Amino acid sequence: MNAKDISISVKKKDHDGKVSGQLAYIGDVKVDLMLYGVLYRSPIAHGKVRSIQLPPLPEGYAKIGAEHIPGANFVKLLHKDQPIFADEWVTYIGEPMFMLVGPEFDILHQLLDEVEVDIEEHPAILTLEEAIRQKDHTGVFASHEFGERSDVIKAIEQHAHQIIEEEYVTGYQEHVYLEPQGMLGIYTDEEILVEGSMQCLYYVKNALISALACKDDEVRVIQSPTGGGFGGKEDFPSLMACHVGIAAKAVQKPVMLLFDRAEDFEVTTKRHPAKFIYRTALDEQGNILCMNVELYLDGGANAGLSPVVLQRSLLNSAGVYKIPHFHAKGYALKTNTVPNGAFRGFGAPQSFAAIESLLGHISGKVNRDPIEYKRNYIVKQGDPTITGGRFKDPVLIDDMIQDLLQTVEYAKKKAEFHAFNQHNKRYKKGIGASFFLHGCGFTGSGERDHIKATVKLARTENDQVLIKISNSDMGQGALTTLSKIVANELGLPYEDVSFPYPDTKEVPDSGPTVASRTTMIVGKLLERAASKMKAGWQSGVSQEAVEHYVHEEMIPWDEEKFSGDAYPAYSWGVNLIELEVDTLTGNVKVEKVYGSFDIGKAIDEQIVKGQIDGGMAQGIAYGFMEKMTSKSGRIEQKSISDYGPPTAMDVVHIESKLYDNPFAGGPYGAKGVGELPLTGGAPAVQAAIEDALQIDFYQIPVTPELIIERLTKRAGGSD
Amino acid sequence: MVTKAIASYRMKSLDETLSQLSKEDCQLIAGGTDLMVQRKSPRGAPGRFDKPVVFIDHLKELKQIYRVNQDIHIGACCTYSEMMEHHLIPNILKKAMKEIAAPAIRNRGTIGGNICNASPAGDTLPLLYIFNAKIRLRSAKGERAAEIRDFIQGPRKVDRLKDELVTEIILPEVPEVQPYFVFEKVANRRADAITKISFAGSMRWDEGRIQDARLAFGAVGPTIVRAADIEQKLVGQAFPLNDKVIDGIVAEFESLLKPIDDHRSTGVYRKTVALNLLRHFLEVRA
Repeated sequence: MNAKDISISVKKKDHDGKVSGQLAYIGDVKVDLMLYGVLYRSPIAHGKVRSIQLPPLPEGYAKIGAEHIPGANFVKLLHKDQPIFADEWVTYIGEPMFMLVGPEFDILHQLLDEVEVDIEEHPAILTLEEAIRQKDHTGVFASHEFGERSDVIKAIEQHAHQIIEEEYVTGYQEHVYLEPQGMLGIYTDEEILVEGSMQCLYYVKNALISALACKDDEVRVIQSPTGGGFGGKEDFPSLMACHVGIAAKAVQKPVMLLFDRAEDFEVTTKRHPAKFIYRTALDEQGNILCMNVELYLDGGANAGLSPVVLQRSLLNSAGVYKIPHFHAKGYALKTNTVPNGAFRGFGAPQSFAAIESLLGHISGKVNRDPIEYKRNYIVKQGDPTITGGRFKDPVLIDDMIQDLLQTVEYAKKKAEFHAFNQHNKRYKKGIGASFFLHGCGFTGSGERDHIKATVKLARTENDQVLIKISNSDMGQGALTTLSKIVANELGLPYEDVSFPYPDTKEVPDSGPTVASRTTMIVGKLLERAASKMKAGWQSGVSQEAVEHYVHEEMIPWDEEKFSGDAYPAYSWGVNLIELEVDTLTGNVKVEKVYGSFDIGKAIDEQIVKGQIDGGMAQGIAYGFMEKMTSKSGRIEQKSISDYGPPTAMDVVHIESKLYDNPFAGGPYGAKGVGELPLTGGAPAVQAAIEDALQIDFYQIPVTPELIIERLTKRAGGSD
Repeated sequence: MVTKAIASYRMKSLDETLSQLSKEDCQLIAGGTDLMVQRKSPRGAPGRFDKPVVFIDHLKELKQIYRVNQDIHIGACCTYSEMMEHHLIPNILKKAMKEIAAPAIRNRGTIGGNICNASPAGDTLPLLYIFNAKIRLRSAKGERAAEIRDFIQGPRKVDRLKDELVTEIILPEVPEVQPYFVFEKVANRRADAITKISFAGSMRWDEGRIQDARLAFGAVGPTIVRAADIEQKLVGQAFPLNDKVIDGIVAEFESLLKPIDDHRSTGVYRKTVALNLLRHFLEVRA
C-alpha cells in the first residue's frame, strides 16, 4: 500500500460530534409547540374493528386516525396491504390503529389506558408452520421456482445411492440499533417536513406523497443523524413518517413520535424466520448428484419487502457451491405476527446458515472433513450461477480458504481439540468454518428499472465541494467513504469535501441506503461526477455535476423465470471460529474468530474493519445467542438483556484479512461490504459447536437450552 | 388530570431517616438499579412512584464493613464495587459480584438492595443463603435480626415493616480458611444478563469425612432453594463422595426443584443444568 492509497484511514466526518456526544439525534430535538404522539395498537392478532371508545380528551389533545388521511390508507412500498392506521381490520398484535397527540407524555399514556376498543376476533395464523400448512388457501406474498427440471431431478434421485432429507429452521433476529426509531413531522403553510432516523429518504417521501395526496414539492424529508439501521430503518420509517406527517397536517403543529426500546422490540420489523427442506441425492462415494430445496419465509402480517427478501434467499440457497442439477422453490408467507422486513443480509443469512449446515452434515455422513468436502464444490470464475448467470470476475475464495487453514494450522488444531475433548469431561472445544458471498447492489435489474439513481456534486465559488445524494450515514461511514472518493478524484483535500445530512429539497434520488450498494453503485456515480467536474473546473465559479446510473448489460435478468445475472458483482467471505462448549450448562464461549474477505478494494480500512467486526459479532450472535420468540402472536422479549445481543465480554478480538480484487464497476475497485460480514457468523459458530459436541443441529440459534436437550437425549441413548 | 408531585427525602443521618420512616409509608431507594427499571414509565413520562421517596445510598452508617470476632458485618448500602475492593469480603462473594451486570450498575447497586428486591434470580442471594446471612433491621423503635431464609418470603416480598430499614448483612462465623466453594451463574451472555439458573455450594471435609455441606439454587423457584435435611445427609459421608451417595443427593433435588418456563429459559433446562452443576460439585476429588 503506497502513501496515497485510498484505503488509508482518515478521521471520520462525524467523529467529533459522536465522540463528544454533542450530535443531536431525533430524540434530542425539541421545537416550539411540539406535540408528542403515542400509538394505540391492536391488542389482538386478527379481527374486525367494531368500535373505538375514547375518553374525553383534554384541551390540546387530539386523536389522529384513518379519517385524517388525505390520500390512501396504506404505506406505499410494494403491495398496498399495510394500513397507516388500521381502522377496519387488524392483522397483528401491535398494529397501529390510531394516534393520540398532545403536549404531555404521561397524560397521553393515561388516555391510552382509558381507550376501549371492541374487536371481533377472527382466526389467526401465528406460526410459520401453520402458514406453510395453509399456503394453498391463503397468504402467499410471493413465490418463485427455478433451476433443473423436476423430472430430471426425479430421474437422478431414482438411481442415486442415497437421498438425504433435512429440514432446517432459523429464528427471528432483532436489529438492536443503538437509537430506537423516531420521527418528527413539521407543518408549514408550504409543506410537510418530516425529519428522522432513516436509511431511505425517497421511500419515506414517496410514502408521504401517497398518504398526503399532495404534490412532490409539498413534502420534504430530512435525515437526522441515525444511530444504526441494519435494515431496520429501511422500510419501517415510512410508516412512522406517515403517522407524523398526517398528524402534523391535521393539528398544524409539529408532532414527534419516539419509541422506547420495549415498543421498538415489540412492533418494528425483524429478520424473517425461515424454514428449509433440502433433498440431496448422493452417489456411492458421497458425491452430490442433485439437490432440491423448498424454503419458506415468515413475512408477518403484510408484504413489506418480503417478496424481495425471498428473492435473495433463493438466490443464495446453494451457497458458494456449484451443485449439479439444482432446483429451488420458495415462498414468502403471511402470518398474523409483527411484519418482518429488511435486515442486513436480506434473506441471505438464513440461506447460508441452511446450506452450510446441510453440507456439513452430509460430509459427516460420508466421513469427510466438512471443509475439504465443501471445497470440492466451490464455484470458480466463469462458472454459471444457479440462475444461469455467470461468475464473470476472478473468484478468490478457495485461495482465501487455503490461506486461512494455514494461518490457523487447521489439521493440527483439530488434533489438539480432539485430544483436549478426550480428557476434559466438562468442556469440549470445536472449530468450524463457513464460506459465503454477497451479491452487491439491488437484485436483478432493480437499479435500472426501479432505482435509477442520480447523484449531484455542487461546487461553491470558494471551491468547496458538496455531495448531494439521498444516501444516509447510519454509522457505517458513508459520509467519510463517499467524501474520500470525491476528494481523491478531484485531487482536493478531504476536508474540502462535505456531505451534509440529506434533505430531499436539496438532493436528487440516488436510491436507498441498502443492499450493500452505496459505496459500489453510488460511489461509482460520484467518482464519475467528480471526474466530470474536474474536467470543467474553473476556480472561483460555482459548478454542478450530475450523473445517472448506467446499466452494465450482463446476462439479462428475468424475474418471472428467475434467470440471468442477479447481481453485477459479488463480495466473498470465509469465517473460522474456535470455541468451547460447557456441557453442564450448554453455554458456548467463542475463543477465536477469523474472517477473510474479498470486497474488491477497501475505501477506508478502519471503516471496513468496523463493518467486519460489527457484522461478524451480529452474525455470530444470530447463530447461538440472540433469541427472539413470538407467543400467541406477541413478541416475548422486550428488553435488550432478555434478547441477549453480545456484550464486549462476549466478543473476542476478530482477526480479519482483506484480499484486493478490484471490480471495474465500483469506485477504485470497491464492491459491497455492509452485509457480507454478517452472513458467515451463524453457520461458522454452528459448525464449531457441532465439531465440539459431535452432534448435528438443525436450527439456529443453537441455544444452551437446545444443546442441553440434545446432550440429555444422547446420554439417554435416544439421539 | 395533573401529574402528582412526590415528596422525596435525603436525610443527613440514619436516625433522621428512621424518624421519617416512622411518620409515613415511604419508598426506600438505595442504588435504584432495580427500582428505576421496575417503576419506569413509557418513554417521556416520569417514573411511577406512588409513595414519598427516601434516598439512603449516601448514609455512611450503612456503608461500613467490619469484623466482630468471626462475623463479617456489611453495611446494607455498600455497593458491589465497594465490596469487591474490600479485604474482608470473602473471595467467592466477590466472584459472584463480578458477574453482576456491568461496572456502571455495580457502582450503584447495593447488597441491601439486592436482598430487599428479593428476586428469585438475585445474584448474591445463593451465596448469602450458603453463608447463613443474617439481616439486621432498625426502626425508630428498636432493632432486630432475621435469618435471610426467613426474611425473604417470595418474589419481591420481604419481612420488613414499613418503618424498618435494613442496616446490615451479617455473615456469621466466617472461618479464616475458606472451605471448598463453588458459585456458578448461568445466563444468556457474559455481562448485563439476568440469571437463568445459579448454583452455590460449599463443602468442608476433614480426614476423609464431610464435616459440613451447603447447597443453594437460584432462579429455580420463588426464592433461593436450600434444603437442610438433604445437606445433613452428606455430613459424615466419606470424601470423595461415592457415586451412590451422589446419585441419592441428585435424586433428592430432582424431586425438590420445580423451575418454570419463561421468556428467558425453560423449566427443563433450568432443572437439568441445576442438577448437572450439583453433580459436578459433589464429584470434587480434592
